[in-house]
Amino acid sequence: MSDGTLFRLLELAVGLSLVCGFVALWRRGLVSIIRALAVQGAAVASVALLLGIHEGQVQALVAAVLLLVLKAIVIPRVLIGVVGRTVEYREIEPLINIPTLLLAGAVTTAIAYLAGRHLTALAPGPVTQAVPIGMAVMLLGFLLLVFRRKAVTQVVGFLMLENGVALVAFLTTAGLPLVIELGAALDLLLVVLVLQVLAGRMVRQFGATDLNQLMELRD
Amino acid sequence: MTPAAVAIGMLQVVVLVAVAPVLAGVMRTIRSRLEGRQGPSPLQPWRDLRKLLRKERLITQQASWVFVLAPLVLVASTLTVAAVIPTVATTTLLGDAVDLIGVVYLLLTGTVVLALAGLDTGTAFGGMGSSRAMTIAALAEPAALLAIFAVSLRAGSSSLAAIAETTLSDPVGLASPETLLAFGAVAVVTLAESGRLPIDNPSTHLELTMIHEAMILEYAGPDLGLVEFAAQLRLTLFLTLICTLFIPWGMATTATAAAVGIGVAAWLVKVLLLGAAVAILEVGLAKVRLFRVPELLAAAFILSFLAVVVSFFLQ
Amino acid sequence: METVALLVPAVPAMAGVIALTQWRRLATWVGIAATALVLAGGATLGVATAGGDVVERFDGMVRVDALSAWMIVLIGVVALIATIYGAGYVSAELAQGHTTASGARTYGVLVQWFVAAMLVAVSTDNLGVMWVAVEATTIVTAFLVGHRHTRASVEASWKYVVIASVGVTMAFLGTVLVYFATRHGVPDATLRWSELVSIAGQLDPAVMRTAVGLLLVGYATKAGLAPLHTWLPDAHSQAPAPVSALMSGVLLSVAAYTILRVKVVADITLGPGYLRVLLLIAGVASVLLAAGLLLAQADYKRLLAYSSIEHMGLIAIGAAIGTPLAMAGVLLHMLGHGIAKAVAFCASGEILLESGTTRIADTSALLARRPLIGGTFGLALLALLGFPPFSMFASELAIFRAGFAADLGWVMLLTTAGLLVVFAAVLVHGQRMLLGRPAAEADTGSRSRAVMIPLVGGLVLAAGLGLWLGPLRPLIDSAVSVVSL
Repeated sequence: MSDGTLFRLLELAVGLSLVCGFVALWRRGLVSIIRALAVQGAAVASVALLLGIHEGQVQALVAAVLLLVLKAIVIPRVLIGVVGRTVEYREIEPLINIPTLLLAGAVTTAIAYLAGRHLTALAPGPVTQAVPIGMAVMLLGFLLLVFRRKAVTQVVGFLMLENGVALVAFLTTAGLPLVIELGAALDLLLVVLVLQVLAGRMVRQFGATDLNQLMELRD
Repeated sequence: MTPAAVAIGMLQVVVLVAVAPVLAGVMRTIRSRLEGRQGPSPLQPWRDLRKLLRKERLITQQASWVFVLAPLVLVASTLTVAAVIPTVATTTLLGDAVDLIGVVYLLLTGTVVLALAGLDTGTAFGGMGSSRAMTIAALAEPAALLAIFAVSLRAGSSSLAAIAETTLSDPVGLASPETLLAFGAVAVVTLAESGRLPIDNPSTHLELTMIHEAMILEYAGPDLGLVEFAAQLRLTLFLTLICTLFIPWGMATTATAAAVGIGVAAWLVKVLLLGAAVAILEVGLAKVRLFRVPELLAAAFILSFLAVVVSFFLQ
Repeated sequence: METVALLVPAVPAMAGVIALTQWRRLATWVGIAATALVLAGGATLGVATAGGDVVERFDGMVRVDALSAWMIVLIGVVALIATIYGAGYVSAELAQGHTTASGARTYGVLVQWFVAAMLVAVSTDNLGVMWVAVEATTIVTAFLVGHRHTRASVEASWKYVVIASVGVTMAFLGTVLVYFATRHGVPDATLRWSELVSIAGQLDPAVMRTAVGLLLVGYATKAGLAPLHTWLPDAHSQAPAPVSALMSGVLLSVAAYTILRVKVVADITLGPGYLRVLLLIAGVASVLLAAGLLLAQADYKRLLAYSSIEHMGLIAIGAAIGTPLAMAGVLLHMLGHGIAKAVAFCASGEILLESGTTRIADTSALLARRPLIGGTFGLALLALLGFPPFSMFASELAIFRAGFAADLGWVMLLTTAGLLVVFAAVLVHGQRMLLGRPAAEADTGSRSRAVMIPLVGGLVLAAGLGLWLGPLRPLIDSAVSVVSL
């Protein structure tokens, strides 16, 4: 595959992950949000795959397959299971309404561009150019985490944050040492499983997973 | 301008004017067939226009000169746009004088004028339709402008001819994220501004769900004919805009008869396919609730914003 | 010696596996033995590294220097207190019906794995492995915090997992950016701390500034520094007492340890000023915030949690100062705080088991009703306030002296003001709980005196350390030289 085609595909994959972030901010159906996350995970895995091919590093290829299975298949399935068990299929009106949230997402994308520029400056090139987009995906995950009200959406926001970090990781380093990738992937899976169990307990105790109910403990 | 260019420019306007009602008719027929009905003939809109133009002119006493002039201004602005957008060739009658931003604002002039006419008669439905139409226009404008900005960035100019020529010379550039995002944004804006589902149902009979139809409830006879024609021409112009910006192949770049012939045929095929796609989409979608429309248009704005941002990131 | 370094985290991991079985008695004894072995291993490693030597294996995956050995000793001591007390605590919870047999089994497994994860975090050279271990501690403690399936504990564990994981993800990005910086300008890309220290001068400052900032944000979240502390009072008050002891006593210090490691690299690349300012802001904010919120506390476990925030703030201030005296104070403070906080939390566990409530207003006349528990709790509070002869007096004094010597006088004055408020608040609440006349006829209670042995032992150790460091002296000297300017 020529370099030009590879970089073009890379651009498309990175752009797709950013669009998925906005789709997750926009949609109200919990299953649609999880599907957007799954597509984003597949896009991140394809970035790893393309970079592995480009740099000829086997560890990036292994990591890409691992990420694809984990982020696009396993974790979304776990989350959809949670949605089924808590029987809540739609989001409640978030703390700020959806058009404002989308605009906030646009502003944070601009901020990410400004913040990521000096990272690109260390090693300018077509690959590191896309690093600010990874940071933008992170910030979109933050917005989801902070401003939405359902437990599952908060988990999706956290996973989107991880996707953004993984994007930046692959774009800057073409893959960390495999041991650490494996450890990070395992940690991620375990966090999702833990949150799944806690969401189940939340439903049993509170009757719903509206995070605004979690107000008992404060000073 | 050379005589050949003037001739091609006039041919474009004639073709657009002739095909616009037929396109609307084709879309209506496709929709009917998909819904299991026989449906009217595709030439029915021309027959309706002929019938309306022959009728007596009726204007309510509460209306002012705004109501009378609105259809004329609407048709005039739309026809001006028809002379600007490259349809069968990259040269047009007014293409050097008006660029893409001018096109957007000419179309907006039509919307505003019609909204004023809806308010002018003082009826409740007219006012309701006008306020809804202006809300949608206000939200769709930023999306349209940013999408234009993104597309112009790639071509280095906001002149439609320049954009079309850039795409023709570098087809691979279409597969970039910014073009795809801009396409998404322009598609949603097209549906919003021409009053199609999922934003506005053009074949609804319930006044409370109308947006565009509610504004023109008071029009009858020739005025109604002009307004309907302008609406059909608007839709055709939006679809032609998508063709020119994103799928310009087939457009004549030289002034030979053969190239122009190919250009006309190519445009016909493209615009009919796009119209069919819109009709099929309409059958599948339900109308979005009015207070959810800002979310949809905000999403379109975000798409176009991302198109601009991504084109800055990935130079 | 390398085998010892490998066994130190492996032993509690295996003890955790044994705890998966149904034999609870065996699992309890194995758990206590495991933590005792950890302490013994830490002592051995401390002797080996006290002269500046380093124990290394697997290309830096396992690396124990003096600082790591100090942390292993700290983890061992606090874990020993917590597991010995925890045995009795869990039996009482089972008897009172607050937990089930499977809950007790989960508790046993997770506590051991928690200790193992912390040991891995402090005995590795690789920043990535350190990160994985710190994230693992969050995962393991999530269910420990939610041990009692109540509304409050679900809320606390949810907030804890989300906030801590988000913070640690920031630290992951920081780690990635450090790796990125090493790919350009230096011959070999590396995540090994020892190599980073030697090449730190050649790394790009702009990238390192972002990386170090992110690492600080991430690990400061785990350390409970303001303004990233919001999970701490909830998590530490809802967890069972021995777990709170481990989390407050050790986990926060392990997070502070990671910040110290990052600081060594950052100070070379960016100069000492960058992290100094950030750590001072976080530290002073933590002390002042804890002081303010301690005044109106109504729950004695939350009181202890805020006290942890305050002490972590002090540790951050000491780390910011950076001189050898300050670092010696920081390391001693970690040890002293670990022991005293463990005793305090375990004593509070006894109070909870006996009275069934964590409200200060509903607990009174402890000294009169249950003199042993009340006395232990009171002495632990005094230790936490920095009274002599407890070791925290010496460590706080060291930090303050170092602060004034480093021209940070006004920061020290602010901190002193905060500490005075803390002093007043804790004394008032403590007095309300301990003093007074018992309302009814005092009963001796049904709990045996033996559970208090580890707590009393801890107090004696804390007092002893305040007077004489003894064999720990060479170790702390070496550890200080690893980490100070």
